[in-house]
Amino acid sequence: MKYRILLAMAAGLLVGLTAFAHHSLSATYYPDKEVKLEGKILDLLLRNPHSFLQIEAPDDKGVMQRWSLEWRSSGQLGQAGIKRDTLKVGDEVTITMNPSRTPGDHRGALKTLHRKSDGFGWGTNPGETIE
Amino acid sequence: MQPFSWAVSPGRLLFVTALLACVPAFAQVGLSGVWADRITEDSYERSGGPPLGDYQGIPLNDAGRMKADSHDHSEWSLPEFQCRPHPGPYQWRALGAVRISEDIDPVSRELRGYHLEYLRSMDRWIYMDGRPHPPEWAPHSWSGFSTGKWEGNMLVVTTTHLKGAYLRRNGASFSDKSTMMEYITRHGDYLLVTMIITDPVWLEEPFIQTTNYEADPHTTLSYYPCTVSEENISKEVPHFLPGKNPNLGADDIPAAGARGGSETIYPEYRKELKGLVAKVNVPSSPTKIAPAAPVADGEIHVLPVQGNVYMLVGAGGNIAASIGPDGILLVDSGRAEMSTKIQSTVLQLATAITASPAPNKCVGLHCPSNPFGWTSPGMNAIIASPAPPKPIRFIVNTSVDADHTGGNEKLSQLPADAKIVGVTFPPVGVAPGATVIAHEAILDRMTQAKAPSDALPTDTYHAASYKLSEFFNGEGIKIYHEPAAHTDGDSIVYFRYSDVIAAGDILNTESYPVIELDKGGSLNGVLDALNNILDIMIPEFRSQGGTWVIPGHGRLCDIGDVANYRNMVAIVRDRIQDMIQRGMTLAQVKAAKPTMDYDGLYGSTTGSWTTDMFVEAAYRSLSQKK
Repeated sequence: MKYRILLAMAAGLLVGLTAFAHHSLSATYYPDKEVKLEGKILDLLLRNPHSFLQIEAPDDKGVMQRWSLEWRSSGQLGQAGIKRDTLKVGDEVTITMNPSRTPGDHRGALKTLHRKSDGFGWGTNPGETIE
Repeated sequence: MQPFSWAVSPGRLLFVTALLACVPAFAQVGLSGVWADRITEDSYERSGGPPLGDYQGIPLNDAGRMKADSHDHSEWSLPEFQCRPHPGPYQWRALGAVRISEDIDPVSRELRGYHLEYLRSMDRWIYMDGRPHPPEWAPHSWSGFSTGKWEGNMLVVTTTHLKGAYLRRNGASFSDKSTMMEYITRHGDYLLVTMIITDPVWLEEPFIQTTNYEADPHTTLSYYPCTVSEENISKEVPHFLPGKNPNLGADDIPAAGARGGSETIYPEYRKELKGLVAKVNVPSSPTKIAPAAPVADGEIHVLPVQGNVYMLVGAGGNIAASIGPDGILLVDSGRAEMSTKIQSTVLQLATAITASPAPNKCVGLHCPSNPFGWTSPGMNAIIASPAPPKPIRFIVNTSVDADHTGGNEKLSQLPADAKIVGVTFPPVGVAPGATVIAHEAILDRMTQAKAPSDALPTDTYHAASYKLSEFFNGEGIKIYHEPAAHTDGDSIVYFRYSDVIAAGDILNTESYPVIELDKGGSLNGVLDALNNILDIMIPEFRSQGGTWVIPGHGRLCDIGDVANYRNMVAIVRDRIQDMIQRGMTLAQVKAAKPTMDYDGLYGSTTGSWTTDMFVEAAYRSLSQKK
């Protein structure tokens, strides 16, 4: 019973959070495709309703590109303990993302993030998704 | 039992009076409160977004289908669209709730209007005070302009002046020529909203949709922050070229139904899909509404814009007028034959604004606004006879066209009977003439055309921008040159305090951009100029209001309107560019109808600038060697 209440509370919270999406993620990105990139952080734009992590990484032809990765809102990231100084410019990271439906676009919806230096990560625990 | 008698007794009279007192004077129903959307209709297409390319149940015409097919959802990453609110026609189907408040006159207790608030859209008024809808040159908004009236227990709302936006979040759209009707009825704790939108541009017949809401006092409308960010690395306008959208037909929807159209809105269409009937019998005369013609009543109409700036409509091209204590500055001078009416209008306006008797708002010895520090009979005499307004001091020409420069000659001179004496420059005794400012390319062309000397620009500039030497009417005014847009001599004028831009013919809400190739114009130059205008603009809130733009022709615009127009120019440019790269001839490009989805908004088969002429100019402009 106790777990059911907790589950209901968690579901309720998630429903509340989904209200932050303003555009359709599945219409912007391929939800069933995944791309892996290895590169360095250029910027973290903590914004509402979505934040954007920008990294420099090679595309599938080996050409270095600037990538814009859509993430959760600044409030949601803050609640998850991710602040302005959690990630730093130059940090080497490996990310996976749902790529843009627009051919040639260098952007995606962030699925997982892993920092090589200390193993910091996001996207593998329950609730660590963008809505 | 005693038989009933109609005889009047004091007790019966009191009872009937009490009953009557409880009956409202009108049949209106209370709508105040918070109403929650339970998402019981079409839930599959709502919170997560609809399948791409599914227009089933929307009566799109061919132009509407072309518009929808070119939709790339990444358009939301454009800075002007990131915080775009849901438009009025979509709003009822959006997530969240609506709070409805009644606006009651505190004295007469009359219902003046309803105020509607939604989770992430613009607040909306439904005026119940009998006011008319605004003129066609008034600005459009995401929610539109709504008036209502009660018919029995149903609130009937009429909405015009909408900005074009989406009906479904996959590109199926309505245009800014649409009219929306809403029929709102309350059934206990439930609200039924029936929305009918009619669009002569992208719909074959009206689109009808019903949505239910439930009274829920525990629902709150939370703060919904939105910050524009650098979402996309690309600077292009996201869209798909015709036939190149990879998302069409990707979902498990019958292909025929997914294309939308009138027949798909009828229940019988299910039988057609199952092969049970040959074809749905669509009414033979779907609603067709001719787009409203631009104003042409021969009069000059005035729309106060913001700060010092007024928009004058009906002179040929629109005129922006700064009016204040320093005098009058006009951006463009309209057609020559309208000069007398323009002059009369602006001088009357200046008199009303700067030189009319007005109540003294400060009483007593220490009023800073009074020249003598007290309100004596002498002061009141001054109030009753204020100084005359200052004359037209400056005219700025945004282009060389006759509908923008035609009034230079007459308007730069004061009329002989003008009672204006208070000029500070030139010195008293010299007939005050206005300074006419333009890019030097305009002077060059007008000189070649042997224009009268009094019509020529007196101050020209050749650099990227030009500033008025000093404040005029309390603000700085900056002029930017757009080197290869409508022509090579175009200027846009920015009123920095009023926060208004006069765009000249770079922006025209009634037509495709006029590109005069023989005068140095280019399609890419128009696009660059529109982007430069957007760079200056800041919305008041949610991609609306804030910086206003007076177009060369058409209605007053804000950032959402300019972005919609810029997107159209970019999309059409990309289509024609692609056709050129594929080796298509001009005739083949015209036959392919690269502008079909926008022709209902900006196209024409007659007049001085037809769709054919635009496509040809665009083709030649893009074919020119760089």
